[in-house]
Amino acid sequence: MNLLRLAWKNISGNSLRSWVVALCALVVAAFALFSTLLLRGAAASLELAADRLGADIIVVPEGAQTEMEGALLMGVPAHFWMPEENVAKLAAIPGVEAVTPQVYLATLIGASCCSVSEMFMIAYDPATDFTVRPWLEARLPAGLALGEVIGGDYISATEEDNGILVYGALVTLRGNLEPTGTGLDQSLFFTLETAHELARVSEIAAEEPLVIPPGQVSAVLLKTKPGLDTEALAVEIYRTVPGVYPIQSANLFQSSRTQLKSLLNTVVIIMALIWPLAILLIGMIYLMAANERRRELGVLRALGATRRFVCESLLAEASLLAFCGASVGVFIAVLAIYLFRRLIMVSLGVPFLLPSAGSLALQIGIGVLLSMLSVFLAALFPALKISRQDPAIAMRE
Amino acid sequence: MIRLQDVTKVYPLAKGHSVTAVRGVSVEIGAGEFAVIVGRSGSGKTTLLNLAAGLTRPTAGRVTLDGVDLWKLSDQEQSYTRNRKIGFVFQFPSLLPTLTAHENVILPTIFGRNGAEPDARDRAAAMLERVGLGDKLSSYPRQLSGGQQQRVVIARSLINNPELLMADEPTSNLDERTEGEIVGLFRELHSSLGLTVVLVTHTRQLIQPGMRSIEMAEGRIVEAG
Repeated sequence: MNLLRLAWKNISGNSLRSWVVALCALVVAAFALFSTLLLRGAAASLELAADRLGADIIVVPEGAQTEMEGALLMGVPAHFWMPEENVAKLAAIPGVEAVTPQVYLATLIGASCCSVSEMFMIAYDPATDFTVRPWLEARLPAGLALGEVIGGDYISATEEDNGILVYGALVTLRGNLEPTGTGLDQSLFFTLETAHELARVSEIAAEEPLVIPPGQVSAVLLKTKPGLDTEALAVEIYRTVPGVYPIQSANLFQSSRTQLKSLLNTVVIIMALIWPLAILLIGMIYLMAANERRRELGVLRALGATRRFVCESLLAEASLLAFCGASVGVFIAVLAIYLFRRLIMVSLGVPFLLPSAGSLALQIGIGVLLSMLSVFLAALFPALKISRQDPAIAMRE
Repeated sequence: MIRLQDVTKVYPLAKGHSVTAVRGVSVEIGAGEFAVIVGRSGSGKTTLLNLAAGLTRPTAGRVTLDGVDLWKLSDQEQSYTRNRKIGFVFQFPSLLPTLTAHENVILPTIFGRNGAEPDARDRAAAMLERVGLGDKLSSYPRQLSGGQQQRVVIARSLINNPELLMADEPTSNLDERTEGEIVGLFRELHSSLGLTVVLVTHTRQLIQPGMRSIEMAEGRIVEAG
């Protein structure tokens, strides 16, 4: 028998009170962790997606900004074109260090010639690309050959020999990029040469041909010279190349960032309501419990328990309950995030990247600690009050 | 052993009122005595016992145990003194309902930094055996009769081998037969262990030869044997 066992015995002997306190701890921990995982996961995902593209400015046809973001964020196929000559015009602007064109394509919906329905596909120019090059340099130094592809994190081969059927042609999946939590995870990357070959084969092998308008590209990714003001360059692009819209990487996914900010504000407001309410409720429960157990605590003092022991015993009870409640709370939060990740992404319209094991453990720890701290704070005043009472007074009716 | 010098206890009430439970009492109870404090309800006998045990601070006067002023000790020292030197038996059910009889008896041994002493379990079992409840170790208070609960309380009061046993109307909720058994147990402990016993009761009939009676009325000692 020791202080903790005594606390545990008291918890099990007062089940209703214990359940209410544990439930409060559960709600605080679950909500705090769920919101943190969601917001941090979404923010990390946006950062990673922008980094993955590796561009300082992405130039798209004017009016295609929203479609572009939808494709990159949620994997919704994009269909927009601009003249290929824009690549040279953009490269000629002072301050531009590198440019690379990309062509955005999509598989057919519900067609037997495509293994995956409505998949977003990005064709790049291997001579100038800087989006998938870092990955290729590390894993496939020779680059992608004709008919070879790499996929986002979710992409897997559907046919034999790492094959994926695209417009009636079998392409070979050579590897997967790191996860970003965005639409890029559901996208396929291949060279412009492979894209044109797919278009050629599709004319005879697919239910509908893959059309790549001649002399057209979907977007041009741009790297600026170090130290250059990208905003000024974006203004210059907008002024000198008609019919295009330059999106600065820092401003990419602006609508999602705004959405996230509004989500964060909502979470802060809910937390600002839940947290003090939970502390107040637990405080009241402990005040009532301490009054109800006044005589029992007085007996403990009479038997030789110090004020500190009585106070610690009540706080140990509260902490044990908080720990149990918070542990269940974080488990529920993590389970909900893992099980309903897709649903959350679609319903909130934000991408989401699962945290690494270390980061998850840290966030779980913070959630549990926050919850335990709430219960501890709530129980502190009643515990101090009752422990300071005269034993004889405490034992009186 | 216990000495109260000119002790007064005033309880503050609402709206600036107060009630004086004990008025300028001086009394000394020596080691090995069996003192019975008698008096009617409200005469101040329970307050006197609480003052003598250091369970409530006197408004005026001095309380010493073995020459040490109880109210000059820190909370830790005072608690240690109560834990090691005094065993308590209360009028009301004072067992923790969530603990078994055995755990209730062990309770006074856990207040140190390191929890219960290694032999506490065996000592507690022996104490319960001594009060005739060797077969009730795993029983919870609700599973015991009033008399059995008081026996567990007595076993608990003896677990730390105290020099002084203080009992506040320990038989008031018991039937006549059980009352006789409990008082018999106190007498047996007094004679076999050489304990100093201070018993508070409103029943004069409990006073037996060899016991010292201290009668209280209106907060004062009106007769001391």
